[in-house]
Amino acid sequence: MYGWTGKILKVDLTTGRIWRESLPVELIHAYLGGRGLGVRLMRGFHTLDPFAPDMPLIFSVGPLCGTAAPTTARLAVVSRSPLTGTICDCSYGGHFPWRLKGAGLDALFITGASSQPVVLSIRGDKAELVPADALWGNTVPETIASLADAGSVAAIGPAGENGVLFANIMMGEGNGSGRGGLGAVMGRKRLKAVVVNGDRTVLIADRQRIEHACHDVMRLFRASPIIFGELGIAEYGTPALVDLVNQRRMVPTENFRRTFFTESRNYSGPAIRREYGTQKGGCYGCPIQCLKMTPRGEYLPEYEALSHFGALNGISNLSAIVRANTICNELGLDAVSAGATLSAWGEGRGRFPTADELPGLLTDIGHRREDGALLALGSRRVAEQLGNPDLSMSVKSLELPAYDPRGAYGMALAYCTSNRGGCHLRAYPLSHEILRKPVATDRFSFSGKARIIKIAEDTNAAVDSLMACTFSFLGATLEEYAELLSATTGFEYSPQSLREIGERTYLTERFYNCANGFSVADDRLPERFYAEPGSSGDGIEVPAIDRARFDEELQKYYRIRGLTPQGTFADPGYLEKSP
Amino acid sequence: MYDQIAKYTNKLIADRSAVHGWVAFAAQDDRLLTSGEPQLARLAGDVLGRLDALGLVAARPSLPFADFIVQRTSADESFIIPRDTETRTFLHDIPFIRSDEFATDGPKLLARLLGNRKGVIVEGVGIVAVGAVTVEQAYINYSSVFHATFVKYLQDLLTGGFLLDGEREAFDGFRNDWLRPLGAEGLRFRSGPLTEPAVILSEVATVGRYTVECGLVDSFFGNISCRSDDMIYISQTAASLDELDGCIDPVPFAATSTTGITASSELAAHRRIYETTDARVILHGHPKFSVVMSMQCEREDCEITDCWRDCPHVRVLGETPVVAGEIGAGGLAKRVPPVIGESGRALVYGHGVFTTGRQDFAEAFQSMVEVENWCRHEYFRRLAER
Repeated sequence: MYGWTGKILKVDLTTGRIWRESLPVELIHAYLGGRGLGVRLMRGFHTLDPFAPDMPLIFSVGPLCGTAAPTTARLAVVSRSPLTGTICDCSYGGHFPWRLKGAGLDALFITGASSQPVVLSIRGDKAELVPADALWGNTVPETIASLADAGSVAAIGPAGENGVLFANIMMGEGNGSGRGGLGAVMGRKRLKAVVVNGDRTVLIADRQRIEHACHDVMRLFRASPIIFGELGIAEYGTPALVDLVNQRRMVPTENFRRTFFTESRNYSGPAIRREYGTQKGGCYGCPIQCLKMTPRGEYLPEYEALSHFGALNGISNLSAIVRANTICNELGLDAVSAGATLSAWGEGRGRFPTADELPGLLTDIGHRREDGALLALGSRRVAEQLGNPDLSMSVKSLELPAYDPRGAYGMALAYCTSNRGGCHLRAYPLSHEILRKPVATDRFSFSGKARIIKIAEDTNAAVDSLMACTFSFLGATLEEYAELLSATTGFEYSPQSLREIGERTYLTERFYNCANGFSVADDRLPERFYAEPGSSGDGIEVPAIDRARFDEELQKYYRIRGLTPQGTFADPGYLEKSP
Repeated sequence: MYDQIAKYTNKLIADRSAVHGWVAFAAQDDRLLTSGEPQLARLAGDVLGRLDALGLVAARPSLPFADFIVQRTSADESFIIPRDTETRTFLHDIPFIRSDEFATDGPKLLARLLGNRKGVIVEGVGIVAVGAVTVEQAYINYSSVFHATFVKYLQDLLTGGFLLDGEREAFDGFRNDWLRPLGAEGLRFRSGPLTEPAVILSEVATVGRYTVECGLVDSFFGNISCRSDDMIYISQTAASLDELDGCIDPVPFAATSTTGITASSELAAHRRIYETTDARVILHGHPKFSVVMSMQCEREDCEITDCWRDCPHVRVLGETPVVAGEIGAGGLAKRVPPVIGESGRALVYGHGVFTTGRQDFAEAFQSMVEVENWCRHEYFRRLAER
């Protein structure tokens, strides 16, 4: 089989049974891999409680992983989020994905719960569960260091062990930008880590064709100012966005009460480079290398973490922000939800955390003690317990990232239609509303946005099933990646056929969510965005969002998707009719 | 969306890439709408309805070059590969449908091809291009295909001459009637050096518009900048040269801010030109004859196969040096600055022209006009000689 291995490793942690199965070919073709395959494999389990032992935790690579296709050494982790109750997938890079593929696997399907802490160890064709009592309680870097000799590691830290609802699974090589708390699902299974080492090569149908397609992709990367421009993410990482988003007056500040933060220059891309003399790092085989490290190897924060520990909490102290980010990496916490939850809590108690308080609060969250016991539940539950639910700047309980929706209306819509809650990556409207790729759209207009968001969601679901990096598509398009996939697998794909796979994936996710009670009532922004304007200035007006216009566009979106006005499925048999 | 359709219909007529009255658009939000010439509009709607895209344009090009290319291509071919940088980078190839194929199941076939590529030539119908996220994007893709077929046809003539009945007559019509004299007469430029930000922004937008209005470049092909003390004011990526108001990024000369991440992909080239020459303004565009002539290399027994990227030689066309180098970080920024200082002009293989002004845009604009006029004259001379 070209591209795919056609194999899945199933693990029942309750019984300790581990076995390989073949994946049905028609399923692979219909869902590709990564997010799409993972979401499909959730069918039948999707209404289980996220912490139920039978709830699967799925690791799924893509068909291009292990090839020369740029930025495709990635995998999706899929399950149901304990934070949001929605289906949830997270995209990870590092070295783990290609080593998993090298072990001859397209996916891991982990169910059950172990009675004691364990590590799942995969070496080529062999897999076993290893007792991990000695590792339980260790931080992520300690765990990775302990297991590094056995291969690449995906691990949880104390936050996942303790059931923090926004605990992350962290990959070695500093890649852990997950959302939705799947680390807590892993912790509930008492699975401390997965370590994998495989070195099989991927069979490729047409090497010459893939080489040509790689050249096409690289040419587009070099032509993109966002990727390889001298101010782009290859140079500065995602902190390159700090100055831009602030200049556009859409940086969430003090729990989204304002949208401009003068002191953000203290933690801009150039400021970080000056302060830390950054070095490049990143995922296996990635030419962009957007991850930035200190010369000592400490991973520096991404844009989201910078902004949410920074502007969102009114903090401009760079070293404090870097320290907060490092603590999140050590404990296995989602820095976006952590920063946003602290901010909501800060507004509720009338004082945002200071730079000095961040380390203690984050550590308490990771260990669910003191104030951290409440904060570990995420902003929605914190706000409810404080008696003011409107303090939570979240959609479907997922804390919003660092782009204020009043500054980009496609983003406003996309936050609400995202199947994993308030997330910018499902449709990534930042690309056209701010970064002008592939073309610019009017960020203060809803016109056309319903269709644009729908198309982008389908496209990105396909990208997440190929398991390519979102940033690649700030230069390349599905045209080039369809060519890479065709060359690798020997089956012909087009951008249109990939978008159709993306649409199938998206609708499957939506169906799962509807089965769990989600509807139009959940596709809403926090009240603040309809009631309060942002921080206008420098010739940029940032008004509150027109609720009627938003609702109109949301209904358009439902019609385009073929959904009912309630955002649900008219056909209860949708899943059965899908492959 | 009707306002967008009207805007880009007018642009297709104004830039003379489509025949007046033979333009149609389709767009879809929660419903499909069409506008323009009824037959083309039906086609546009039929095709777009089969695609996961927002906009589509179908129009008859103002020149018959695309049809000629199809007819000159052997019967077993189904796409062309123009050699210009736009195609090489963004389009890869351009599929075509012959008229007899189109007669049988046109819309379905067209939708299939547009599901894979940004634009398609339909013999006897025109160019059909799709925009995944905006109507504007469909216009851009149409414009790219028009540009690519223009350049390819002129190149093909130099190598293969006229082959078809009526081809020579049509080409004479193009030369005598369609082409217009290029010049800067009647255009007003502010005298430099330009120092006030508001003046710079205004002048950059004005000169960008001039380059399009006088037919020197198409609206999306190029970028423009002005240096003032510690700042570079440069057009944004994917900005139309004739619509630069609000689309110019001030970028600190020292990299103290990344706000300019949205600046043109050629920011690095502009910066290095400023660092290594006495230029105060830079103009970059893709005038078509210049693009054609930049690829007419006469070096024999050359071992280089990727001329766009790898050619280390500096050729000279007229007084203008020609170098290789791909867009953005692809090498252009290294190869142009060393050769542009003396004459204030440089050609990039398959790509376009850079010109500079030591005081203001009058010099840069005049230089670009001269380069394109020289290339135009030289092209016709070589064609007559073959």
